[in-house]
Amino acid sequence: MGPRRRDSGGTAPADQWHGVLFGALAGTMLFGGAMTIADDAFAAGGGATDGRALIQERCSSCHQKEADGTLHRIDHVRKTPEGWTMTLFRMRQFHGVALSEEEQRTLVAYFADRQGLAPEETAPYRYVLERRPAVVEEPVTDGDLSVMCARCHSVARVGLQRRDADEWTRLVNFHLGQWPTIEYSAQGRDRKWWEIASTQIPQLLGTKFPFKTDAWTDWQAAPKPDLAGRWAVAGHRPGIGSYGGTATVTKAENGYRVTYELTDAAGKPLSGEGRSVVYTGYEWRGTGTLDGKPVREVFAASRDGSRLDGRWFLTQQDEVGGSLHALRIGGTASAILGTSQSFLKAGTTARITLWGAGLDRGEIAFGPGVSAKILSRSPTAMTVEATAAADAAPGARSLTVGGARTDGFAVYATLDSVRVEPDYAIARIGGNSGPVPPMTAQFEAVGYLNGPDGKPGTEDDVRVGPMPASWNVEPFNEAAAQMQDAKFAGAMGPTGLFMPAGAGPNPQRQFGTNNIGDLKIVGTVQDGSATLTGSGRLISTVQRWNDPPIH
Amino acid sequence: MKHLTPINKKARLVDQAVEDGHMDEVVAMQVVVGCASTMDPGWEVDPFGSVAALCAPMEADLYGCSDPCWWPAQVPDTINSYPDWNAKAASAQNDWRALQSVFPKE
Repeated sequence: MGPRRRDSGGTAPADQWHGVLFGALAGTMLFGGAMTIADDAFAAGGGATDGRALIQERCSSCHQKEADGTLHRIDHVRKTPEGWTMTLFRMRQFHGVALSEEEQRTLVAYFADRQGLAPEETAPYRYVLERRPAVVEEPVTDGDLSVMCARCHSVARVGLQRRDADEWTRLVNFHLGQWPTIEYSAQGRDRKWWEIASTQIPQLLGTKFPFKTDAWTDWQAAPKPDLAGRWAVAGHRPGIGSYGGTATVTKAENGYRVTYELTDAAGKPLSGEGRSVVYTGYEWRGTGTLDGKPVREVFAASRDGSRLDGRWFLTQQDEVGGSLHALRIGGTASAILGTSQSFLKAGTTARITLWGAGLDRGEIAFGPGVSAKILSRSPTAMTVEATAAADAAPGARSLTVGGARTDGFAVYATLDSVRVEPDYAIARIGGNSGPVPPMTAQFEAVGYLNGPDGKPGTEDDVRVGPMPASWNVEPFNEAAAQMQDAKFAGAMGPTGLFMPAGAGPNPQRQFGTNNIGDLKIVGTVQDGSATLTGSGRLISTVQRWNDPPIH
Repeated sequence: MKHLTPINKKARLVDQAVEDGHMDEVVAMQVVVGCASTMDPGWEVDPFGSVAALCAPMEADLYGCSDPCWWPAQVPDTINSYPDWNAKAASAQNDWRALQSVFPKE
């Protein structure tokens, strides 16, 4: 199980942290008037010490005490901060539990800390928490989970909960009670759905995702890292490029404050600031601004508190964002976190910035045939003028600064192929004076070398990096051609950003259908005298009206 | 299918897919995460992983989805969870702009 990277069939040494499989799955949420429940997961949390008293006061009239003193249902589930936020939303929406913003924040913090998930338990599913778009999950091979659960939800939504079999059974009962026509749906009416749902599935889930695990027991006992300090930062914004710099994290009430001093790949300053709550000892949820735009942050701290990794995204448009990787400054270790570009063409010179820690020590080396003149250096950034000889050997390279090393660099003479990444993505119509905004899709045209086997599209291909490209939209199949999807569904911008057309029925289309389409996205890269193209598939489809943080 | 005769293009495509043995190729989760591909046909994608066989424009049948909680993960159900969701939009085709997401971005 886990996400399958659909964007690169071959090895992708060129930037493990420059992942291009981005985008979001959902919006954050507001419930009722001005109460922003999304902020419960992202903004300052309330004191967890009040949590138990609040549960007794507000929840225990329905959730009765069991023989062992636990509260029915409440005390038998573990979830992420987003999962608990959605639970409180349901309690309000379905059962009229009116909680103040402060009470909601207190409860989310209390539950996430007391009944959260261990780092190892969330690791396979962070793409959903980070709201990355264009992720295709692997079908679940054991049992019926792909059909029973994941034909409506993500597998991650299931995998980010922990219950024993009897509690999973109650969740099945809830589904049938709340959505009684479930038995009449496809894959419901055409088999013994209830028998499968009420017997096999809870047993399987209780075995696969049980309430008590060694990982959670260990994490509860483990010391939790203090994240205050200075951090080296680097990341990648698909369609825009890499960035890097430093972050300063200071303690604040119920969490941290953070300020960013960053530059983009061209050296233009990017500033940002925000505040965060760290749930469960490692789940950083931040809200603030970056480059003047409101953003949210979903990071995971490492057990020892030396790293933060995750994704930030625009508050209003969570498919737009970037990866972030941060390394605590202060130790003696040096590291390269990112580079302004991941490649150098033979016979050319380029200005390249490296971001990381301890970069003020040691020699820089790109390997044979590449020379580098240092233009500036500090512990967290080094800018060089790098020149690759005309006969520099093409292929993947290790880039080193003293003891710091990254394997995510390549030298090339001519590109062998271009792939559009991601190769399968989704966009959604929106806007057109309606309340649901469109969901865009970002593509990159990535150059590759064939690698030792001399064949494109194989495991040993060398990922060179994103290239400037021109973009074109074509119908993906015959039906799309007949319906003129390429004409109506939207358009590609010069940076590889697909902007869907407006929502609503379109009287100019056959059947007055929506501006949906099944599209082939073609990226064309000019490499010297050679013209290379790659393509991906885009399903530009209808909007969701139900858009929770975890789909 | 021998007792049924397709009368339109979409039905002929389904018929053809059965004849070509393509129906078994449809596997849940071969789509971008969070998309519903089932429930006659699917919300985001049809059983063939495309959009040509969706119920579209979806506004034409939207309340046929929300009333009996069809695709409840994508469409608010008015039977239990969100009874007032479409109270201000008598006609989905004409009033779809009045329909709010139950989890707005902010």
